[in-house]
Amino acid sequence: MAVRIFLGAALITIIVAVFLTALQGHALRDTVLVVAVVIALVLAVFLAPVLQRPLADRPSEAMAAPSTGPSLGHILDALPAGVITIAADGRIVVFNAAAGEMFGVVADRANGRTLIEIVRNSELDRRVSATLRDGTTETIELMHVGAVERRLQVMTRPLDGDIKLGVLVIVTDQTRMRELEALRREFVSNVSHELRTPLTSVKLMVETLQSGVDLAAQEQFLANIAAETERMIALVEDLLDLARLESGKLELRLSTVDVSELCRQAVAAQRPRAKAAHINLVCSASQTPLMILADRDKLYQVLTNLLDNALRHTHAQDNVTLTVAPRNGEVTIEVADTGSGIASSALPHIFERFYVVDPARARGHSGTGLGLAIVKHIIEAHGGTIAAESELGAGSIFRCTLPVGLQTS
Amino acid sequence: MGRENFHRILDETQQNVLRMGSLVEEAITRAVDALSRSDVKLADEILRADDYIDDLNVLIETNCLNLLALQQPMASDLRTIAAMLDIIIDLERIGDHACDIAQITKNLANEPQLKPLIDIPLMAAKAREMLRESLDAFSHHDAEIAHAVPQKDDEVDRLYRKVFAELIQFMAKDAKAIGRASNLLLVALYLERIADHATNICERVVYMVEGVPRKLKRSVVEFDQVLAHSDEIMQSGPGSVDQPAGGQARS
Repeated sequence: MAVRIFLGAALITIIVAVFLTALQGHALRDTVLVVAVVIALVLAVFLAPVLQRPLADRPSEAMAAPSTGPSLGHILDALPAGVITIAADGRIVVFNAAAGEMFGVVADRANGRTLIEIVRNSELDRRVSATLRDGTTETIELMHVGAVERRLQVMTRPLDGDIKLGVLVIVTDQTRMRELEALRREFVSNVSHELRTPLTSVKLMVETLQSGVDLAAQEQFLANIAAETERMIALVEDLLDLARLESGKLELRLSTVDVSELCRQAVAAQRPRAKAAHINLVCSASQTPLMILADRDKLYQVLTNLLDNALRHTHAQDNVTLTVAPRNGEVTIEVADTGSGIASSALPHIFERFYVVDPARARGHSGTGLGLAIVKHIIEAHGGTIAAESELGAGSIFRCTLPVGLQTS
Repeated sequence: MGRENFHRILDETQQNVLRMGSLVEEAITRAVDALSRSDVKLADEILRADDYIDDLNVLIETNCLNLLALQQPMASDLRTIAAMLDIIIDLERIGDHACDIAQITKNLANEPQLKPLIDIPLMAAKAREMLRESLDAFSHHDAEIAHAVPQKDDEVDRLYRKVFAELIQFMAKDAKAIGRASNLLLVALYLERIADHATNICERVVYMVEGVPRKLKRSVVEFDQVLAHSDEIMQSGPGSVDQPAGGQARS
């Protein structure tokens, strides 16, 4: 800036000098001289504040040029929270990308529109209108049903200056947190139920024994107490197993295992239960040994958990089939059932700890929601993979693939 | 009333149609949720909330009639007002169906579930999706979205036939299940009707944007024939227009 002023002044001086030289002896010479002095004085008046300003305050060339840093829009779009600003006339001024994702709308289409045109949620609409009208700040939690259902926490705050400027809305997605809370409550409820039932049974039998019964009855009751105790121990072992698996402290006791024989044994152990429920249980395994390197007990637990899960969700006259076969240098174990199936929305979650697909449907014989989580950890600890396919009302297939030699993950 | 005021009221009325739409969408979700969980308290809330939907209906209708009477709107403004008068009828009926489902929830509250609800929530999700997209089409004056929505009605109809067949089987096997099964049949019917109402809304949006009334589940060729032979049809009754080659029959 100072350079430009200096160059400008120099140019004017040169022009005046040329004029004066040209006008030597001319009557206008004095007039031109006076005009040149006036211009110099005016320039001095404008230059003085600039020249008096400390150097540090003068804008540098770099700052005078347009900035190439992030704009406010970039910053807003990078925020994880939804930010919406609504002007006093009810039109949207700011609608960032996170808000667009939470409400399932294209953020770019929002500016200049009203909130109800873009986000059809009557509770949000009422809250924003109230804030615009009354100037109240409030935080609420609401459910938004778009293409996906989300639980959102919404804070509305008035933007005030000398006049009402509008409303600021901050939105955070609480869906996952609420799901986890619900899972935790479900788990505590299931574990309490699973423990309370055998404990109640044990208590009753102990009280009966204390009141005095004959020898035959004593033996029966003691056998039942032992069975119920085993059941509670198994539950606690599952919990501890899962804790160990998740912390990476599980040690595999590896040996050469005939998977075909193991599958036949697992199916045989479940046959009485399947027969009692009138479910057709089939094992399709070759008589030729199929050897892999694995932890025999853990692999048996995988098969038991998968069969237990299939029998739990299958009805009378339905089928459960366990198939084991070599495929592409690996061993594939499939447990297929023709039972109630799993909704596509639940499929991504079924291997999560504590997850129970449909508590209402499984009422009376629900598990703890740990079985499949344990299966996944064990299979992955062996370097294998597990996947599930399902169709509601038609049944499910759980497919495990294990390497023949151990490949630890 | 100046022209600026006219556009302000027209704009506010469109906002109110969207408000009514959002209330109705939420009512469907909550009604099926209440049915799945046998939640009588939620069912009562839905029944109470219907009054607000009805109030909005009256407000919108009044505003529309005032605009027609006092402003003599033309062209797209006239079509918008005419479309809104039709759309709120469909929305009001959808709200009533949500209330009917809530009432069935109360009727079945003390009875064991006949079977876990699988297809009915799927029907509800599909019908709600159709309604949401039809209101998107209205909000954005987008005929392209409006044309696409009715194609999804076939899926709702398919689910309805499946639920119908399954519930008839229940009733045939067990006479004690007739009461519960017939109530669930009504729920499925209401959801199928909600999907049809969403199609109706799309037809009004197409009229609003394109200026020509259309039945979206019939081919354009077939409908133009209806318009061309309207006098003949009025005199002769149903079946008086030949199906053109390649035309789609109404499902």
